[in-house]
Amino acid sequence: MNRFGVVALGAALILAIVATVAPFFLRRYGIYLISMWAVLTIAAIGLNLTLGYAGQVSLAQGAFVGIGAYTVALLTQSGWPYPAAFVCAGALCFAIGWVLGYPALRVAHHYLAFVTLAFTTLVFLVLRNEEWLTNGIYGINGIERPMFFGWSTGSALDFYFFCLGMLAVLSAATWWMLRSPWGRAFLALRENPIRALSLGLDTRRYTLMAFAIGSSLGGMAGALYAPLVQFIEPGSFGLGMSFNLLLMVIVGGSGYFFGPFVGALVAVLLPEWTRFTEGYYLLIYAALVMVMMAFSPSGLLGLVERVSKVMTRRAASPLALRAKGTEP
Amino acid sequence: MSAVLEVSNLRKSFGGITAVHDVSFDVREGEILGIIGPNGSGKSTLFNCVLGQLQPNAGEVRVDGRPTTGMRPCDLNGLGVSRTFQLLQVFPQLSVRDNLILAGQEHRGSMLSRLFGRSDAGLGDAAERMISFFQLSHLADEQAGALSYGQQKLLDAAMAFMAGPRLVLLDEPAGGVNLTMLAHLRERLRAYHAERNATFVVIEHQMEFVMALCTRVLVLAEGRIIAQGAPQDIRRNPIVIEAYLGH
Amino acid sequence: MESFIQLLVSGLATGAIYALIAVGFSLLWQTSHTINFAQGEFVMLPAFFILAAMNAGAPFWLAALIGIALSVVVLGFLFKVVIVDPMLKYGVLPLVISTIALSLFLKEAAKDFYSSQAQPFPTLVPATDLEVFGAVVSTQSLAVLLVAIVTVVALHLLLHKTRLGRSMQATAQNPTLARILGIPVERMVLYTFLLNAVLVAIASILITPIYLAKFTNGEVLGMAAFLAAIIGGFNQVRGAILGGVILGVLDNLSAVYISSQYRGAFPLLILIAVILLRPHGLLGRAEERTV
Repeated sequence: MNRFGVVALGAALILAIVATVAPFFLRRYGIYLISMWAVLTIAAIGLNLTLGYAGQVSLAQGAFVGIGAYTVALLTQSGWPYPAAFVCAGALCFAIGWVLGYPALRVAHHYLAFVTLAFTTLVFLVLRNEEWLTNGIYGINGIERPMFFGWSTGSALDFYFFCLGMLAVLSAATWWMLRSPWGRAFLALRENPIRALSLGLDTRRYTLMAFAIGSSLGGMAGALYAPLVQFIEPGSFGLGMSFNLLLMVIVGGSGYFFGPFVGALVAVLLPEWTRFTEGYYLLIYAALVMVMMAFSPSGLLGLVERVSKVMTRRAASPLALRAKGTEP
Repeated sequence: MSAVLEVSNLRKSFGGITAVHDVSFDVREGEILGIIGPNGSGKSTLFNCVLGQLQPNAGEVRVDGRPTTGMRPCDLNGLGVSRTFQLLQVFPQLSVRDNLILAGQEHRGSMLSRLFGRSDAGLGDAAERMISFFQLSHLADEQAGALSYGQQKLLDAAMAFMAGPRLVLLDEPAGGVNLTMLAHLRERLRAYHAERNATFVVIEHQMEFVMALCTRVLVLAEGRIIAQGAPQDIRRNPIVIEAYLGH
Repeated sequence: MESFIQLLVSGLATGAIYALIAVGFSLLWQTSHTINFAQGEFVMLPAFFILAAMNAGAPFWLAALIGIALSVVVLGFLFKVVIVDPMLKYGVLPLVISTIALSLFLKEAAKDFYSSQAQPFPTLVPATDLEVFGAVVSTQSLAVLLVAIVTVVALHLLLHKTRLGRSMQATAQNPTLARILGIPVERMVLYTFLLNAVLVAIASILITPIYLAKFTNGEVLGMAAFLAAIIGGFNQVRGAILGGVILGVLDNLSAVYISSQYRGAFPLLILIAVILLRPHGLLGRAEERTV
């Protein structure tokens, strides 16, 4: 295994250990926070696929989390078993992502950004107005946490491990996808689409696939979000969350596999650390992102990489590389 | 023997300027056709129209009899048409081996099957053979960006050949390459051609390269074909000489 | 019919304002490939500059001038020099992200440093009603319409009849060629940013009396700018104007004839439809396929 592989495995191992042990040192609120971290990381991994690997800006990830959350809430409260509802959430968001992306990606100029912006607002409107379905602004209350073969995830600790487990499974699946020829294709389409096309790579299809899978991961994150917070309302899934997720991916390092993990951690902890500034945290966050884009567009992991000079002359796998456009 | 490539009455204008006027020619299987001409004669524009990078204003392109005018480059590649680039277009961060696998992988099964198949899409051996054919074995695991210019040119050609194309269009393959490497490149192209009976179309400025490699030569000037024939005849053709000296 | 005329007039007024915002947005894209996601917040902010100046004792007309001047400095000059220029070398994507972050930053700044409550904003003329063709039309709408039209005409004259304007257009359409022709391209690009700052400031003065000064205004206005620019065609100033006007009229009409709950949805559906059917907008030129 090459040097990069060793470092990555080491990092994953450390992360796994810390994540497994941490909750035992935390109180209830702390466990809630790291559960939120796990859930948001899943959504960020999805957005990282779209942005970091396929190079497209999506402002709809929040909406997809919302669609996933509402799907699971409504289905489980109608008697569906949780796993079926979960799969439904993911599949629905994949389909919507495909349909949404198809026309938008035929043209250049970052049209997807605008389409997803419009879509997010539309979703909010539908969630707010269609009271017969979603209970409108009153939201859906009392969402239950699932039970698997007698193991109830009701307690904070149990639900955390459920979220952590899902995170492990989904990130492993993503890793595997990036190790396959698809990973190479994503890199090609991001680094040099013209060359990629001449080699028979259908750039449109791969971009669309990245966006659809990314949206699907958003939906799955939503499916976990609903039982985590146990009360959902339309306002949580608007542009605010989409921006938040976008900034997470950027701050962590877009195109890096572990970027979303880092970005989500910052996003979850920052409001806690800036409590003393009385709600200025979004301001600080936004300022941080702007400064970061000026000095280290490849995010925190980009900074780490430059500082530690992990990259040697030896070739790296697609998993290590980030978007050309974010390189200094 | 039918033509692998047929270009009929191709025209391409940019605003008021017509870069390619009513150009028609055929390329038969096994030929190595050279396209030469002074700067601004429309060679690159012609190339890009054939390859789907640009939409021609009029005219038709056919590959093996199938109309391909304006087809997307990736679909054209699926029909067996490959190209190299004037300005280097390897993937600098991938290894030489990975570049080659990437170059061939889209031809192995469907998109979905590739997701569930092997990481190298079953191209490990083919890549190895291509690496030794171009004598890049000592560089196989190096980052492509670390190779010398000439070596990258070889890689570029190797990538074009990975999918076993019927027709390869080479855009100024000799540009900027030193003499030794040039001879090596020319020799490798000839060897590939002999082995596979492939069909090449080459745009080039360097006369020696074209004359030594090509079986037939086409001369473009100001968007029109002014001469075509065997290399030695073209070299002596007064119209051609005039077109070059006149600039 | 009377209400239709009323709606038409107010629709044209709103549309003209959208057109101003969209034109600036379109120009920024054309000259420097800047997709300014903060354009909406750029329109929201000058109103707060003006209110702050008024709080410091300045009369409205002076405050307005101060607001425009501040806008030119901050949203024109500083925006270009501090945010856009350093980012350009990284490509379009990081710049897009930066402007997204900027929009968030400006919005939060207005909320945190001024107020989260909606603030009243003085109108240009005292609000009375006139009778035009039997319909009741507010003087405010007419004043807005007048100012907006004057601005658009002035803009048109600037861009087409003056040397400066033509140089700016040349820079927008083909910077390389413009440079060869001796046009100081960098300076032209700067002027575009300054021009955008003026346009958004004027738009702010016109629209804030209606919307009230709220830190959230940017969301709606930004969306309007993007829609107008896309509907009209990204590459044309004329298109941005047309897009803005269409949007304004449709927006007002839909408020009456379509459920008010879904009022915001109509323009969004138009956007999706345009991207589906005529991605280069109504007036945009179809460009060469890049991939």
